[in-house]
Amino acid sequence: MTLRDMKVGQKAKIIKIDKGSYAQRRLFEIGLVPGAEVKLLSRHPFRGPLVLQIGNAKIAVGRGIAASVKIELLEN
Amino acid sequence: MAVALIGNPNVGKSSVLNRLCGSSIFVSNYPGTSVEVTKTKFNVVNRDVDIYDTPGIYSLHSPGEEQRVVKEMLKSEDIELILNIVDATNLERNLVLTYELLELGIPVVVVVNQIDRARVMGIKIDPRKMRSLLHSPVILFSAVSGEGLVQLIRVLESGDFAAQIDKPGMGKKVAVDLSLSGRYGERGKGYVIPTETSINEADLERAKKARDTAKFVTTQMKAGQKIWLERIQNILDHPVIGVVLLLFFAYLGFLLLLKSIELSEGPISTVLEPVNRLIGHLISEILPSGIVSSVLSKAVPEGLIIPFTIIMPAMLMVSLLMSILEDTGLLPRYSVALERAGSFFGVSGQAVIPLSLGFGCRTPAILATRIMPSEAERFIVITLLSIVIPCAATLGIMASVVSTFEAYLPVIVLTMLATLTILGFILSRIMPGESVFVYELPPLRLPMWSNVWSKVKVRFSGFFTEVLPLLLLMNIIIRALMESGLLNIFHDMENFTRFLFGIPAEAFVAVLITIFQRYLAPLVLLNLPLTPREATIAITMIALSLPCLPVMVMTVREIGLKGLIKVLIMAFSTSFAVGIILNCILPF
Ligand SMILES: Nc1nc2c(ncn2[C@@H]2O[C@H](COP(=O)(O)OP(=O)(O)OP(=O)(O)O)[C@@H](O)[C@H]2O)c(=O)[nH]1
Ligand SMILES: [Mg+2]
Repeated sequence: MTLRDMKVGQKAKIIKIDKGSYAQRRLFEIGLVPGAEVKLLSRHPFRGPLVLQIGNAKIAVGRGIAASVKIELLEN
Repeated sequence: MAVALIGNPNVGKSSVLNRLCGSSIFVSNYPGTSVEVTKTKFNVVNRDVDIYDTPGIYSLHSPGEEQRVVKEMLKSEDIELILNIVDATNLERNLVLTYELLELGIPVVVVVNQIDRARVMGIKIDPRKMRSLLHSPVILFSAVSGEGLVQLIRVLESGDFAAQIDKPGMGKKVAVDLSLSGRYGERGKGYVIPTETSINEADLERAKKARDTAKFVTTQMKAGQKIWLERIQNILDHPVIGVVLLLFFAYLGFLLLLKSIELSEGPISTVLEPVNRLIGHLISEILPSGIVSSVLSKAVPEGLIIPFTIIMPAMLMVSLLMSILEDTGLLPRYSVALERAGSFFGVSGQAVIPLSLGFGCRTPAILATRIMPSEAERFIVITLLSIVIPCAATLGIMASVVSTFEAYLPVIVLTMLATLTILGFILSRIMPGESVFVYELPPLRLPMWSNVWSKVKVRFSGFFTEVLPLLLLMNIIIRALMESGLLNIFHDMENFTRFLFGIPAEAFVAVLITIFQRYLAPLVLLNLPLTPREATIAITMIALSLPCLPVMVMTVREIGLKGLIKVLIMAFSTSFAVGIILNCILPF
């Protein structure tokens, strides 16, 4: 399962990022690291970006890149 | 002695420095406000300390322009102390950089900023526990309330920074590999292109240490009741309602701009008229009668009308609206809302920030393109800025050309939008690249009026130091050229310009004047007898033409001469193509 398949309100743990090293680095620096917990806050229409909560920060990521982030859903 | 402020984007580095030194570095509520290193002098117990404000970075080891300038500063300046500014509400991520900085061997003092906001959110941080883990002094700070300032000054006064560090061996400079190419293979122009897998063991370990530290030192109390600002933020961040609201705000801002020009024109003219008569009278009295006197006595009063009645209110309003957008945190919300639209142009959502800054003035906007994630995207944004975006002064004077000649406003607006679309489409094809959109949305904040005011002052001061003198000078030159008949030398071009663009030779000269400064060009038109059709074509060509001289200088600095030449070729072709096409399709 990837970030893109999450439903709004769900929480998940990041497992792995399948993407070029540049994208990996960008995600890593903003807190999307394997082991981190995220919550999907909203998804913008027309295949727009997803807004995630990581810690107390809100992070917007494009769909393309979201599809490369493998996650594991967490029970609430 | 030299001290550097380093930290994640938008944590308040510049605010801390302004609070400490009373400096007035631009502060805004979006990541990427500062893109350059700025040096400020600070006097502490009769010693001068150089304090460097730096662009926000998430990691020293990432590629990118911001990281490059920070690393360059660390290498070239003899930094004796790093003030690591961290966001109290987001320690887990901020501390990753802290651990990187601790490895450098330069003494670090951790300034936990925005502690006021953390308290409101129910976050409690124990500085003693934090110090015991980081082996470095920790100061709880608020740039807004001034909390922690005394402690910070005391640290700076003590002078012997190495002594403040607990860990033995720390504080002595060790050789650190900050080589700019480092682990990232080749270096593209200005950008380090990573070639290996970018995240290594050390990175993951630091991330883990940061997470553990954050957990250990913070206590999450039950968050107080939701403040109303947070409620508004939830509405604005709604994917549908929020976007509609944002677009409505943009429309409202535009309307407000037009209305304020319209409303202020009358009163300003009333005040200006007697002043102008006096100036004209004085000039013809003082100067011996002759051509100089007759030109000046007409050109000077005339040259004051447009700057004061139209450009001044336009610049004021644009500065005010821009500052509010920046300080509330609305600007980055446009980045998210317009991300899809941007992908059509081959740029990610961040492009909104430099493009909208361009409406204020395009020169600093070119610098702000550094926040674009790749060289290709950066070039696209610089090109769009150079060709399509009109600055406040240009907007003002274009408006006066439109009303003077009854030019066709819808034609002008539609042409500009069509050009933006076509240009973006072409650029995204010739400079392909997958856009990686990852962007941190800052919390919505109430604008601090003192900050808004100081930014308006800085932006608006350009009216008196640059716009007004240049427009006045230009008006005098045009008058002189017309009275002396020198403008006639362009008459040979008349056949050519009429055939191609349907405009007189003098109007074409105006288009070429955009090389110096775009807002000067429409002034030439105002002195010519033009039909509405001619005015429409000429003003559209001016609106879609060359970047002005200051923008060109900045472009060379940022992306090199080759980049500028490409932009110029595109700008010339766009302007001419627009003229020819309009000449073909507009009815006489
Ligand atoms: N509540 C609160 N807000 C703060 C504090 N310090 C800064 N801010 C706000 O945080 C935002 C960012 O401040 P800046 O000083 O521009 O941050 P920066 O770290 O220099 O940002 P970049 O230059 O983009 O890296 C602004 O809106 C400030 O008003 C603080 O202590 N408390
Ligand atoms: Mg700053």
